Amino acid sequence: MTRLSDLLLLLVVLADFWVLGTTRLSSTIRAAAFQGALLAALPIALHPGLSIHIIGLGVGTLVVKSIVLPTFLQRAIREASVRREVEPLIGFTASLCLGAVAVALSFAIAQRLPLPESQTALLVPVALATLIVGLIVLTTRSKALTQVVGYLILENGIYVFGLSQAERVPFLVDLGVLLDVFVGVFIMGIVVFHINREFDSLSSAQLTELKD
Amino acid sequence: MTATPFVTLLAVLLAAPALPGIATRAKSLLTGRRGAPMLQLYADLAKLARKGAVYSRTTTLVFRVAPVILTAGVLVAAFLLPLDGRTPIFGFTGDLVAFAGLLALGRFALVLAGLDTGSSFEGMGTSREVTVAAFAEPALLLSLTVLVLVTGSLSLGGMLGAPLATAWPAAAPSLVLAGASLFMLLLAENARVPIDDPATHLELTMIHEVIILDHSGPDLALVLYAGAVKFALFGALVVSVLVPRGRFDPWVAGTMLLAGLALIAALVGVIEAVMARLRMDRIPQFLVTAGALAGLAVILLLR
Amino acid sequence: MILVGTGLLLILAGGVCAVMLRRMPSVADRAFAALVTGGGLMAAFPAIATLADGRSRMVRLPPIGPGGAWVFGLDRLSAWFLFTILAAGTMIAVYGTDYLAPERHERPIAAAHGLLAVLLVALCGVVTSQAVVPFLVAWEVMAVSAYLLVVFESERADVRRAGLIYLVLTHVSTIALLAMFAGWGRNAPELTFGALADTRVADAPGRVILALALVGFGIKAGVVPVHFWLPGAHAAAPSHVSALLSGVMLKMGIYGLLRMMSLLGVLPAWWGWTLLGLGLVSGVLGVLWALAQHDLKRLLAYHSVENIGIILLGMGVGALGMTYGQPVVAVLGLTGALLHTLNHALFKSLLFLGAGAVGRATGTRMIDQLGGVGRWMPLTAVTFLVGSVAIVGLPPLNGFVSEWIVLQALLRSGAAAGGIRVAVVTAAGLGLIGGLAVACFTKVNGVVFLGRPRSSGGVPPVECGPASVGPMLALAAACLALGVYPALAVGPAMDVGMSIARGASIADAGLAALGASLPRVALLALTLLGLSALLWLVRGYLLARSGVATSVTWAGAGAPLTARMQYTASSYAAPLLGAFGAVAGVRVRAAAPGFHSEPIDLVLDGTVFPVWRRLARLAHEARLLQAGRLRWYLLYVILTVLALLLYLGHTAAAR
Repeated sequence: MTRLSDLLLLLVVLADFWVLGTTRLSSTIRAAAFQGALLAALPIALHPGLSIHIIGLGVGTLVVKSIVLPTFLQRAIREASVRREVEPLIGFTASLCLGAVAVALSFAIAQRLPLPESQTALLVPVALATLIVGLIVLTTRSKALTQVVGYLILENGIYVFGLSQAERVPFLVDLGVLLDVFVGVFIMGIVVFHINREFDSLSSAQLTELKD
Repeated sequence: MTATPFVTLLAVLLAAPALPGIATRAKSLLTGRRGAPMLQLYADLAKLARKGAVYSRTTTLVFRVAPVILTAGVLVAAFLLPLDGRTPIFGFTGDLVAFAGLLALGRFALVLAGLDTGSSFEGMGTSREVTVAAFAEPALLLSLTVLVLVTGSLSLGGMLGAPLATAWPAAAPSLVLAGASLFMLLLAENARVPIDDPATHLELTMIHEVIILDHSGPDLALVLYAGAVKFALFGALVVSVLVPRGRFDPWVAGTMLLAGLALIAALVGVIEAVMARLRMDRIPQFLVTAGALAGLAVILLLR
Repeated sequence: MILVGTGLLLILAGGVCAVMLRRMPSVADRAFAALVTGGGLMAAFPAIATLADGRSRMVRLPPIGPGGAWVFGLDRLSAWFLFTILAAGTMIAVYGTDYLAPERHERPIAAAHGLLAVLLVALCGVVTSQAVVPFLVAWEVMAVSAYLLVVFESERADVRRAGLIYLVLTHVSTIALLAMFAGWGRNAPELTFGALADTRVADAPGRVILALALVGFGIKAGVVPVHFWLPGAHAAAPSHVSALLSGVMLKMGIYGLLRMMSLLGVLPAWWGWTLLGLGLVSGVLGVLWALAQHDLKRLLAYHSVENIGIILLGMGVGALGMTYGQPVVAVLGLTGALLHTLNHALFKSLLFLGAGAVGRATGTRMIDQLGGVGRWMPLTAVTFLVGSVAIVGLPPLNGFVSEWIVLQALLRSGAAAGGIRVAVVTAAGLGLIGGLAVACFTKVNGVVFLGRPRSSGGVPPVECGPASVGPMLALAAACLALGVYPALAVGPAMDVGMSIARGASIADAGLAALGASLPRVALLALTLLGLSALLWLVRGYLLARSGVATSVTWAGAGAPLTARMQYTASSYAAPLLGAFGAVAGVRVRAAAPGFHSEPIDLVLDGTVFPVWRRLARLAHEARLLQAGRLRWYLLYVILTVLALLLYLGHTAAAR
């Protein structure tokens, strides 16, 4: 069973790379949805004894992370008619390199963290890597929608981290799913407040001009 | 030493010109056309070998020697791969460096030949070619590093032979990643979509084709043949990594290789049918992704 | 040692001859060339003997010199470097007689020959000193004579500026070394290397010593980020001097670091990792910056930074192998580094000599103004091409062999156990270096020697004389020989490596495998050459049957191509440099007449000068304080006293 979870975690990292490397917003969202589905399968792969709690967690994650939020996001794209991330702060090639470094660093850090042993040694490094990639996307991309995806990725990292500590703090993961509410709020904001009419207004670089 | 290494090598060298044909045929079928015969390249090679050559007055000896060096480098590189799943024709510790070096030597020669014509077309193509190559090289070395870490062997004979077969189950995820990375490199190094389009007819968008615009006759035949063999070598790398053939009988392994090569060529054709080319400035990103996949595999193994 | 001494005296005598006989130019040149070559050969014999039998040859001078013991001697390490210096140095000196001859009436070329002899002897002195004081004396003589040679064309402002930067940095290096040896020799009974050996370096003073060594030797070797004296100085000096600086003098930094490793034995892990990191950074950035250059000699100079990076990668993994108890990795890394030192001396000298020949014949070093030079200077073009293939590290030449061994060391570290495994990721860096080097040297060869001349007018260049071509041919032949028959150099280099990484033996599996695969490498090179010859014959046969025609280069449907329509070096490098963004260090100007890029040195122009300017401005503003009024000064005094009192009160309260 751990082998399956290892494979899932590996795919989670690949989804991170996918997010970092693509320009098309819809593709980015697909990557996030894919990662959500992987996360939904993770608890089931980690805890072979199927309990109501775990199945509920899995199904809940699947619905929220890989169906509801991506659908909303896709709709927001249509509303805002934004197709591509055009002017990232750091180029795509560079952010891919940065992502690779982040993964390497997470593996190096995870070995030194004073954490109790969890079932699979991959959980913590993958969680850290996903967290950092989420941060990279959040900070280096200029479109508000991409940043929402970045936030989603970051939160997926927290979710995986929660899974690694699930035995000690049982409801940490469930709390993590609750964080998704924020994502919903972001998307609502974009859709409802019509930041969508113009292309430029979705660029959060403009927010600095709100000073006075 | 048994005969299988030589026989498989001969078979691969003979079958190589069929691979681009298979790719083109697969693409044609998927896009609703019949396409050229699968064995077209053999006919082309035979015809070119019989034709004379036209040389530009700008060119020097470099232009004439380059196709020879290119072909010799690719052929000697073929000697280093364990094509029958066991033993290469000759291998030694660290021969993976020689493999990469021989391919790079061929590229060096071809690029110089392109610059020798003094044409801006060729200049453009060579400039792009070295750009692609510079980003492909680290990814290739990372992929080979994965194999070194998995098998503990520093020669291609060991990395792709029997030690790989025994180590495969324990390191499957890393090897799959390395295989994927190598497949991406295959596309890049052999000028296939999404890096380059062998079927394009506009010089400004070409990479590989535009370098060899001025080659003709036997020279062009050598370049085309070397390209086909290079395709086969990268295909053999991918097949060997994904399907460890070390525990099969060498004859079976050799046959598996040929079947695998045909499959890969067909897959390349499918990709050409469904994907568009990348913009030139996105090519480094494609190759960095290939490197990142192999890098992830290395990290998993170093853990 | 007597032979070495006599040989060096002969070289000096050659220098004296050049100065004394300057009224009879042809006699002076011949005497200089003959004496230097003869002296070099004589001094090389003991080096070869030491490399062969491994016996140290030491001599202690009577205590006449200042600073205690003056010990000279050869052990394997010294002998390796002595051989390197003499092999490249004699060729360079011979070439120099021909290269400088046209300037006989403008500049004091006899002095240049004399100084070159002094520099050669000083270099030999650095590697044969076995005590601190003679080492430092030779080091300083080397630095100063090199400076005088760099500013040979001192009427040019850029030359004077480059010389000044070099002079400042080389003295920073000397000061760092003085401090290092002072700290190191504190408790030693005498200042010989033998007495300094096996000092403990794990404690705090030891760390300072190691860090100072990195600074002092790193500056001399041209490691990023203290490489920035190097491109300017190499471009300013006469070409044969550039060859000596780049091919040989940089290696003195490498020699110093290797000498430390051999004296101290196992070093702390951070030192090895630092070397590895510096090697990676120097290698990648060196070749990237080289790609951006338009001046042929600056390009080659940046390429030296890259090659120093490769050498440091080998040394770094070697040091780590010693630290982590992996003797095979250690010896492989050191062997690769040593071999690359020799190889780089050969092909980089060759390339600089070729660049000098091109510069002499065409009157420019700017790549974008050249083109088609190979048509008029075939021998220079072919030898330059050989050097290029060698420096890129492609089979069947010598550069491949050394990079092959360094890569083996890196990969083998990954297969080992323990913390050293992480070093394996630098193998990808070496791959990137190789890929970029291909781009860089196809650019140079393609734009300078192939195609058509880009600047019309002027007489076509002519091939240089036999005294210039001879050394280039000899160096090219050496590159080929060491590539086709690598055992010639790998065996001795491995012995030197084992003398540094004590505790490894030839019987170790990995080293035995290396030894066993050398004939295979030779076979590979021969197969490649043989197959090429065969294909060439086949091609000739086919063409003989069907005939060859000549025409113009295909130009589409438009008008025939002109020389101005050729790709320039700037355009050629643009896609690759563009992909690296700001790291590439170019300013791009894509304006009306054409595409043009302008290389800048990120450290010198991007960091050192801006910081310096800001400091100067600060200092300028601080002049306001010096108003020249007594009352103000009194105020400063009172304020200072007050501040001190406050501080005292504060600390007293705290206590």
